[in-house]
Amino acid sequence: MNHPDDDTIDALLRKQFEGPVADDGFCERLMQRLPPRRRRIAWPLWAGVAAGIAACGLSLVAMPWLPAGWHDLAGGEFSASAIALLAVVAGMSLLACWWTLAEADDR
Amino acid sequence: MADSAAEARIDQALVARVLLADDRRAFEQLMRRHQGMVRAQLRRLLHGDHAMADDLAQETFLLAWRKLDQFRGDARFSTWLYRIAYSCFLQACRKQSPSANDTDSDTLERLSATAQPVDLQLDLERAMQRLSTAEQTVLLHCIQMGLSHEEAAYVLAMPLGTVKTHALRGKAKLKTWLAPWQAAPDKEQTP
Repeated sequence: MNHPDDDTIDALLRKQFEGPVADDGFCERLMQRLPPRRRRIAWPLWAGVAAGIAACGLSLVAMPWLPAGWHDLAGGEFSASAIALLAVVAGMSLLACWWTLAEADDR
Repeated sequence: MADSAAEARIDQALVARVLLADDRRAFEQLMRRHQGMVRAQLRRLLHGDHAMADDLAQETFLLAWRKLDQFRGDARFSTWLYRIAYSCFLQACRKQSPSANDTDSDTLERLSATAQPVDLQLDLERAMQRLSTAEQTVLLHCIQMGLSHEEAAYVLAMPLGTVKTHALRGKAKLKTWLAPWQAAPDKEQTP
């Protein structure tokens, strides 16, 4: 028994599909139901980001190991505080990468 | 190909007008350009339930209106709409009882009881109903609506390999079930 080939099946399926439906007032009805567009307010997000950065900076400045680590790094010395500083920076970079990828995935 | 690129550019321009100038007329144009295929997609998915399909199409366009700023232009606007429509369809299916979504067993009885095919299109329709839901859905998007495998994977939120497998299996089953027509091609055309 011969089986129909791929092209025959494709042609049959396309023929079976009715194609686009006529409008018949669909758009007009829907336009009447369309709510006003909500404008996304951007300032709360940016205010939050700025507050977060400020809080982070203030808490880090208060840490004694931060200037010490920075000083050691500048001198090319890998002390405990320098490694801690590098670890914090690497951790924050990884978090930023993960957040960016997660945001990109959602879109 | 050039046509589809031009169509995509028109869609992008209309989307930009909606987003930048809050232009409702531009959205209406987008809707007029795509409502036909979105409603056809939903009618097929809902096995011809026109009223339900139109309700879901309305929901699709209302969602598209609300979420238009999330359209980044990675996919064609039409593909983005089909994806929203398909997720509306899935949500509607979840709300219904699970048994309501299955193919009626009586229908399948009648299908398998058909010994002599009477009309090729009718047999194809019946054969389509015998396919699994995933195979039907993939064939609808890939062949009947003309999407690429990649676009169908995006719309159906399926891995590309799964889409290709469903398309192959679905077509293989249709070929087997419609083989008697190949054996008797002279019977194909009935008035």
